[in-house]
Amino acid sequence: MSISHTDVGDDLRRIAITGRLDLPGTDSVAEQLQELTAAPKKGVVVDLSRLKYLASIGIRALITSAKTVQQRGGKMALVVHGDSTVMMSLEATGVNELIPVFKNIADAEKSVTA
Amino acid sequence: MLPPLIVLPPFDELSINASGAEVRRASEWLESACQQREVPQAMAERLVLSLNEVLANVIRHGGANALSSPVGLKLEVVADAKSGKAGVTVSDAGIAFNPLSVAEKPLPKTLDEAAPGGLGLVMIRRFSDWLDYRHEEGRNHLTFGTRWKVQ
Repeated sequence: MSISHTDVGDDLRRIAITGRLDLPGTDSVAEQLQELTAAPKKGVVVDLSRLKYLASIGIRALITSAKTVQQRGGKMALVVHGDSTVMMSLEATGVNELIPVFKNIADAEKSVTA
Repeated sequence: MLPPLIVLPPFDELSINASGAEVRRASEWLESACQQREVPQAMAERLVLSLNEVLANVIRHGGANALSSPVGLKLEVVADAKSGKAGVTVSDAGIAFNPLSVAEKPLPKTLDEAAPGGLGLVMIRRFSDWLDYRHEEGRNHLTFGTRWKVQ
């Protein structure tokens, strides 16, 4: 389980989460994710392409972050492989309709900085 | 010479405590048991996701009895050359709760509508091909399962 980030210029922050966003996994990164998304960056891309499982507690953490970004006038997008269980979790809960999901980082970054 | 015949027991069982760290142990147990019983990986992943949600609900809503008593897990797989099915039963001593009795909510349309609760049940329903619930001898027994066809 790990969370890391890179800032690209002043407008864009890339956050990558790997491992499992299950109960213990989300506990270990939720606070950091919230802090990273609260920073005044216009666009935030959360890369979940190397995430193995996304449980509902992880989805709640993503919703909280997306709201934070939206409230400060920014945009947040997710990067997820199309045929993964992570995508299944997002589709099952309808969250893929609430937070834009892209298959590659370049498209996600374009959408949040546009 | 024939390869050695491995006879698996009719089902796999594990007993855990109701805690976050144990949820991870349960996931790993289910992954490896599914692999040993040749459950297709996509089906095994669904079962693991459902198991996570069921256990999270037991921990969050089961009350003191759920937290202080062991939670039982059981995997049963029935498969032949054409098709198979795998069911996982979770039993806990918590407050009686039949998830099948909860009405399905519409999916949220906006981030603000996305309520913090209830997502777990939505996922369990979506990832399972069948669900079964009974309350017996003071324990909840919830079974969720998947079916597949061999192509």
